[in-house]
Amino acid sequence: MNRKLVCAVTVSAVVFSMAGTVMAADNGLAEDGKFVVGFDAEYPPYGYKDDNGEYTGFDLELAQGVADLEGWELVKTPIDWDSKDMELNSGAIDCIWNGFTMTGREDDYTWSVPYVDNSQVIVVSKDSGITDLAGLSGKIVGVQAASAALTLLEDPEGQKDLADTFAQLQQFPDYNTAFTELQAGSIDALAMDVGVAKYQVSSRDGFVILDEALNSEQYAIGFKKGNTALRDIVDADLQKLVDNGTFDKLAEKYDLTEFVTLGRGTEGTTEKATE
Amino acid sequence: MRIQVVLQQLASGMLRSLWIFILTLVFSLPLGLIVSFGRMSKNVVLRTIVKIYISIMRGTPLMLQLLVVYFGPYYLFGMSIGGNYRFTAIIIGFSVNYAAYFAEIYRSGIESMPAGQYEAAQLLGYSKSSTFFRIILPQVMKRILPSITNEVITLVKDTSLAFSLAYAEMFTIAKQIAASQTSFVPFIAAGVFYYIFNLVVALIMERIEKSMSYYR
Repeated sequence: MNRKLVCAVTVSAVVFSMAGTVMAADNGLAEDGKFVVGFDAEYPPYGYKDDNGEYTGFDLELAQGVADLEGWELVKTPIDWDSKDMELNSGAIDCIWNGFTMTGREDDYTWSVPYVDNSQVIVVSKDSGITDLAGLSGKIVGVQAASAALTLLEDPEGQKDLADTFAQLQQFPDYNTAFTELQAGSIDALAMDVGVAKYQVSSRDGFVILDEALNSEQYAIGFKKGNTALRDIVDADLQKLVDNGTFDKLAEKYDLTEFVTLGRGTEGTTEKATE
Repeated sequence: MRIQVVLQQLASGMLRSLWIFILTLVFSLPLGLIVSFGRMSKNVVLRTIVKIYISIMRGTPLMLQLLVVYFGPYYLFGMSIGGNYRFTAIIIGFSVNYAAYFAEIYRSGIESMPAGQYEAAQLLGYSKSSTFFRIILPQVMKRILPSITNEVITLVKDTSLAFSLAYAEMFTIAKQIAASQTSFVPFIAAGVFYYIFNLVVALIMERIEKSMSYYR
């Protein structure tokens, strides 16, 4: 084969494989009739795989309700939680809807109305002897990477002072791994959202949630900053779901009634997320 | 969740992993050969470019490369991505990465051929291209097959990196089931699936090696 030809073929192959990255795509919004919701599929009861292998959860059923109202096709996209900002900003997903903590991230996204009152709590094993936050001094505490609990424990105005008393703050990709380590005794405690903690503690033996919480905060749906058009539609639909009772029914189904803030009088519903 | 459902879920994940595996091989094996020509080229510019390409592909994590391929168009050019580009990006990322490794394997094989064979072929009136494709390449294939098998088996396990682009392949599904069932069993099942997959790959490669063991 002619050497020059070989060179040309090589170069063009490389160039073409690079050029392949440049592709047309939809313009993010639900215009094409697809409502792409990004979620962490390892986050029960908000988003997870059910016993039939389908993605479900409190948040995903709500999203389905919104999609039904608008005649959109709901696309449930399980994402890598560490990449959530890239997924959202690049338009690969339309929103993050998955027990997503608004508190502390108010300026980073365009938020829906907050719909769940959450708190960050500590889970320990029953026989650990730890009964309050002070008891965590000198212990190894686990937390999910890129989670609200981690942000809180690293924030000087949050619980950084407490975190400084830990022997170590260990980050995990998901709570299942973290619980396995807690069970195995390689860490002493875990910091996480109360809703998730309840699910985990009720489906495993030998763990308790400390009464003393790290903070209280709110869940909302996160949209790409500036995408108020989609946010307004979803907000209006959420209110409709509250009005027709779907919201309360779902909260009951997932045992979250004591945490939800929509549809119980005026508190919570009137307060709009800050931009 | 019943065990049948778990296995069925893992099998569907396996299928998604299998797609990455097959498409990556389809694109990276020929691309690797082309890259190896560039790597051995007498043209200094081309050789240097290809050298840098191989160096970057081998020197940075595949997961990072996947992120760059997928999110790069947005962060570099402000383009909105979405829809089907996710899977395309995975295949591009894997193929371009594996082509670099395959290229070096091809080169090791091609450069191990004695110069006397080229001279003999020239004397017998073979053209350059038929010398390469009829005489050199078949022998090269025989020599490099064990190294290729190594890479191919690594590829099976590397498919789990596709989740960094939110592609739910088998290991991701195993993790999700493990999370909702708060159990470790899905991981063991996933391990068995990977092992069987690789066992089949190894058996096929062994058979190909055997079929090429003529003149030995």
